[in-house]
Amino acid sequence: MQNDTERQDLRRRIKEAASSQDAGTAVTLARRLLAVSGKPADVMFCATTFTGIADALTSQLRAKRLKTYIVRSVTIEPILPFLTTEAVLSNYVLDMSIGGYGSYVDELLNPQSALAKFKPNLVFILLDLEDIAGRLPALCADGIGDAVEAEIGESVARVEHLLRSFRSGSSARILFQGCVVPDQTSLGDVGEANLPHSLTNAVYQLNQKLAALCRTISDCVFFDVDHLAARHGRANWRDARMFFASRLPLSSASFGTYAAGLVRSFSPLFRAPRKVLCTDLDNTLWGGVLGEEGPEGIATGSAFPGNCYLEYQRHLKQLSSRGILLAIISKNNDADVREAFQIRAADLGLTLEDFVATKISWNEKEASIRELAEELSLGLDSFVFVDDNPVECEAIRQQLPEVAVIAAPVEEPWKLVDLLSAQPFFDAAVVTDDDVNRLNEYKAQAQRAELASSAGNRDEFLASLEIVCTFLSALDAPLARSVQLLAKTNQFNLTTRRHSAAEVEAFASSPGGQAVAIRVRDRFGDAGVVGLALARTEGDTCSIDSLLLSCRVIGRGIETALLAHLGENAIRAGATRLVGEFIPTKKNAPCADFYVDHGFLQDATSRDASTDSIFYQLDLTTAAPESPRWLTLEGNESNEFSASAVVAS
Amino acid sequence: MSSQQVPSSLRDILADVLEISPEEVTPELGVGTIDNWDSFRHLQAILAVEGEYSVQFDPSRIPELTTVSLIQAELIAKGATL
Repeated sequence: MQNDTERQDLRRRIKEAASSQDAGTAVTLARRLLAVSGKPADVMFCATTFTGIADALTSQLRAKRLKTYIVRSVTIEPILPFLTTEAVLSNYVLDMSIGGYGSYVDELLNPQSALAKFKPNLVFILLDLEDIAGRLPALCADGIGDAVEAEIGESVARVEHLLRSFRSGSSARILFQGCVVPDQTSLGDVGEANLPHSLTNAVYQLNQKLAALCRTISDCVFFDVDHLAARHGRANWRDARMFFASRLPLSSASFGTYAAGLVRSFSPLFRAPRKVLCTDLDNTLWGGVLGEEGPEGIATGSAFPGNCYLEYQRHLKQLSSRGILLAIISKNNDADVREAFQIRAADLGLTLEDFVATKISWNEKEASIRELAEELSLGLDSFVFVDDNPVECEAIRQQLPEVAVIAAPVEEPWKLVDLLSAQPFFDAAVVTDDDVNRLNEYKAQAQRAELASSAGNRDEFLASLEIVCTFLSALDAPLARSVQLLAKTNQFNLTTRRHSAAEVEAFASSPGGQAVAIRVRDRFGDAGVVGLALARTEGDTCSIDSLLLSCRVIGRGIETALLAHLGENAIRAGATRLVGEFIPTKKNAPCADFYVDHGFLQDATSRDASTDSIFYQLDLTTAAPESPRWLTLEGNESNEFSASAVVAS
Repeated sequence: MSSQQVPSSLRDILADVLEISPEEVTPELGVGTIDNWDSFRHLQAILAVEGEYSVQFDPSRIPELTTVSLIQAELIAKGATL
């Protein structure tokens, strides 16, 4: 009853917040309502409320608004309110349109279909096993059938045809759902487990092949719904009654889990993962307080409870191996911590070398995080903070709201890894070589900073770095890296357009188009592909659609080299005028004067009233930009085909 | 029948699902009497009611439970406490 009073009270306050279009309050309260109740009716109430404040969500919370089309062969309608709600809780507003049950083939193949006309940003493809590989249950019935593999191959080929055909006409992001392994079959559990071509084995294999297919389609993720079903419990995942009566693939008790899984799965297509995990030491990285118990007294290693901490350390090490930077933020004596890492090395899953930085002092942690963000040239929204002290956690939540905070459970250290994994912070559908090398690159940056303080003038310092820039096609960056840069570069990004892979391909292949990536190395290391520019020459004008550079290489003239390269290609394509565009955002002030600094004149006449765009232009016949002397350039002639394409067109 | 009150728990669920105010949920309200109550909304309503009262309706009965009072009667027949 207590619960119900609280529930009614929250609903009343959500309604009030919604009627005054206060999106932040409405979402915060909705989160609380769903934590206390989670009844289907409350989820529907939230969905209706959110739909009513969609504009406020977009404008006040900067929720990403996505035109979403659902291609399906099953009933999905009762799940939609759950999807709407989960999406808003992850800061997306989905404007949804649903396809017909039987028309999914036509929708994906026909360029005049409802799907094509809808021009979505995001497409879910939710098909049943019956539609993807309907003959499998029969072919697998004896568990040894030799036609099974061929059937799987044909099924995947059919799906491939659908996906490629759709991709050729649309740059929408795609979520393709796999199949759920059937819970009960005529072979029984023993037969399913032991026979080579049981349905269970066949569906696993099918899912693996579908996932491999999705990796070859740009901007496409495979949604492993079977994994979700297994976690939730297969026995409760489906309600056979509703599947047979209404073709509803899930029990109503699974709607929430399913919707959350869908949102978490598509999210990496639109959002870059966080990059830094800051961990506390005492009662977080190890058990106990180092200052009180000494290096021998802290809990870590193979025995309980030390093994819970060891598990957390190993988890961090795994994150680090795919490019998540680790940092220590701890109130301790630096010398004590160094001693502990030395004495307990055999019991620790990490060494100090695994950390990009350590902030071990008695300073406020908020100040340490700010300092670290500055040193690494990363935004605070790239940070995750893990600490057992509730006061420290609250301080960071209030003072640095962009930072994601995880409170380490002191009394239940075995829960920390699960708590961390349950969060989508570090989700990435693609990992590139640049991610893997990131730790070394950031460490090199610290060394460069040291050299900068010893070198005399700036040019001399930059020359001493022996920087080499290599230009390459954005398609060979590889393309996934180019899209990643577009998705996550904020500070030095002139237009902040989050283009998809297909859109980058369009720049690379269209007449007069340029899609150039830049790779940078110096005597301290290889920074990898760190910059990208997209431009298009039409007639005598080359317009720069996007130009961006990872902030860790700003200030070395690399941005100028990129601009000069665009200019040269534009001249070759017949342009006499270079037009730059700047769209101000909260974060890109560092590059606001980029075009003016390079001799461009602001063009007041072509200001686009519908956007915040500011345009600049430069006469290429008299003032073409030049690359700084201290840079060595490679691959300068590689972008020939765009010039020849202009000649051909 | 029209004098009969709709129990508040049932009334609130249906109001949420149908996106109407609880006062509009009368015993006579049903599929087709308002635009919002179409066949998909009907499925949503049934699932929400099932979840709330921890009952399961016979699928062949579901299309017949076309008004608030019919749903209410079926719930009582299933032994639910309204």
